[in-house]
Amino acid sequence: MSEAIGTIKKLNEKLVKKEISCTELTKLYLNEIDKCNGELNAYVNITEETALETAKTVDEKLAKGMEIAPLEGIPMTLKDNISTNGIETTCCSKILKGYKPIYNATVWDHLKSQNAVMLGKTNLDEFAMGSTCETSCFGGAKNPHDTDYVAGGSSGGVSSAVGGNIAAYGLGSDTGGSIRQPASFCGIVGLKPTYGAVSRYGLIAFASSLDQIGPITKTVEDTALVYDAISEFDPKDSTSQGRRNNPTTPTLKNSIKGMKIGILKEYMTGIGDEIAASVENAKEVYKSLGAEIIETSLPAVKYALPVYYILACAEASSNLGRYDGIRYGYKTDRYDSIHEMMCKTRSEGFGAEVKRRILLGTYVLSAGYYDAYYKKAQDLRGAIMKGFNELFEKCDVIIAPTVPMTALKKGQNAGNPTENYLTDLCTVPVNIAGIPAVSVPCGVAKNGMPIGLQIIGPSFSEPTILNAAWQFETATHDSVFKVSPYGVKL
Amino acid sequence: MITREDILNIALLAKLDVAEDELDNLTKEMSAVVAFADAVNEADIKTESFDNVNNLANVFRSDEVQPSLPNEEIIKNALDSDDGYFVVKKRA
Repeated sequence: MSEAIGTIKKLNEKLVKKEISCTELTKLYLNEIDKCNGELNAYVNITEETALETAKTVDEKLAKGMEIAPLEGIPMTLKDNISTNGIETTCCSKILKGYKPIYNATVWDHLKSQNAVMLGKTNLDEFAMGSTCETSCFGGAKNPHDTDYVAGGSSGGVSSAVGGNIAAYGLGSDTGGSIRQPASFCGIVGLKPTYGAVSRYGLIAFASSLDQIGPITKTVEDTALVYDAISEFDPKDSTSQGRRNNPTTPTLKNSIKGMKIGILKEYMTGIGDEIAASVENAKEVYKSLGAEIIETSLPAVKYALPVYYILACAEASSNLGRYDGIRYGYKTDRYDSIHEMMCKTRSEGFGAEVKRRILLGTYVLSAGYYDAYYKKAQDLRGAIMKGFNELFEKCDVIIAPTVPMTALKKGQNAGNPTENYLTDLCTVPVNIAGIPAVSVPCGVAKNGMPIGLQIIGPSFSEPTILNAAWQFETATHDSVFKVSPYGVKL
Repeated sequence: MITREDILNIALLAKLDVAEDELDNLTKEMSAVVAFADAVNEADIKTESFDNVNNLANVFRSDEVQPSLPNEEIIKNALDSDDGYFVVKKRA
């Protein structure tokens, strides 16, 4: 156990003090990617040229004695479902291989304007549909603490890269836990922001009423920096609200004395013993920081998982209707009619899990089943949202495990889709309710795999949950943070 | 209970081909997934009608002409194009 290395804050200090040039720093990361990526399989596309060009710009600014922004010149990565102008964006699906967007996602525009050094695009479960990164058409990303284990999913590549010190930070997307779960598996920090806080323009859609983009970093302070940089109102996303003038950095280190922290009994059932013990320990840490613990309950949460799979698959079946082989991406080469062209393109282009989810989504939306599944799931979604709203009248935040278990072994649940869905048990309620949650490291299991603690708050309470997360991290860091043997040691 | 016929029917709606040798396995897997989803029909709690997330209102902008993405750039990602158009097969 030791201190986090290669954080945004540390790298920024090194650049400002001219201990290292941005070009040297970038090359250091590129060299380590070259050495480790064969094992970690975190990156699916390395953008060396773009990275070195940006680094040169930053070095020119530094040479002129100009000030640099906190994220300027910091080597980072984007999940490969975030559009990058002129740079292949595949969603790790055969159906999008070769696709080069002609515009940037708004989040990438924000970071690019700060001269973020993008090292490359990282691995994910195909179309972000999975919990282990193993449905990627490039094969899964590995856990940077032990490559016999998965990095988690779907943002497995970003988490493997950040945990494995071959990127200082990255952006992932979270539809049912895809930022928090892999961050937990890899022993780092991941924030799923409030629905609407971060623009999704240019994020390739999976389930539009649930998807959010958010940061994956090594420390809470880094998460706050990145969140503040990307949470701006965007007229190109009709659900965009921005952070409503609530930056997270000014209050990050405030005292949490008197903060009311809820624990739901539903989150504490069906979870592993070591996970339960870590959450119990977190409770004691918070008590010692002066917070008040409130044991409470939200029965509707137990339906969150089936509600999530019905709604996410229904929306996916509609969103993925656009892949027809005509305008972009893969197209079959043998067909007689337009119907056959579309069927063959889609059947050859999509992997098994994506097809399964499209089929389930089509089923729950089809005549005769709409009321029994889709409508019922929407009504339960309403109950879950209302339940959380009521809870937040008596608690400031809620703490819970991020995942009921630690990282799975490679291929552990292959061929058993519903078993894999259980890893999302504690993360999906947040997406259903549209509220924010952050995962921070809170322990290490006997097998060496990290454990994550989830801190959940009401809509647009990012300053509060990150404040609670920073206090926890500061109180526990040295005993729960584990450094991966891979990557850049700065 | 999901049948082989159900799978073929929804596959047609979703424009996916299901090969004969995939059908049995897919029927089994889909039955398990649908049984999992069926938990919503056993829910014993009061439901609430759902409108949207976080009471979001539509974000409107003024109806002003703005530059759009260039046609020649858009067409670059298509495997088959001609004179700025996407090419598809004629309907029989």
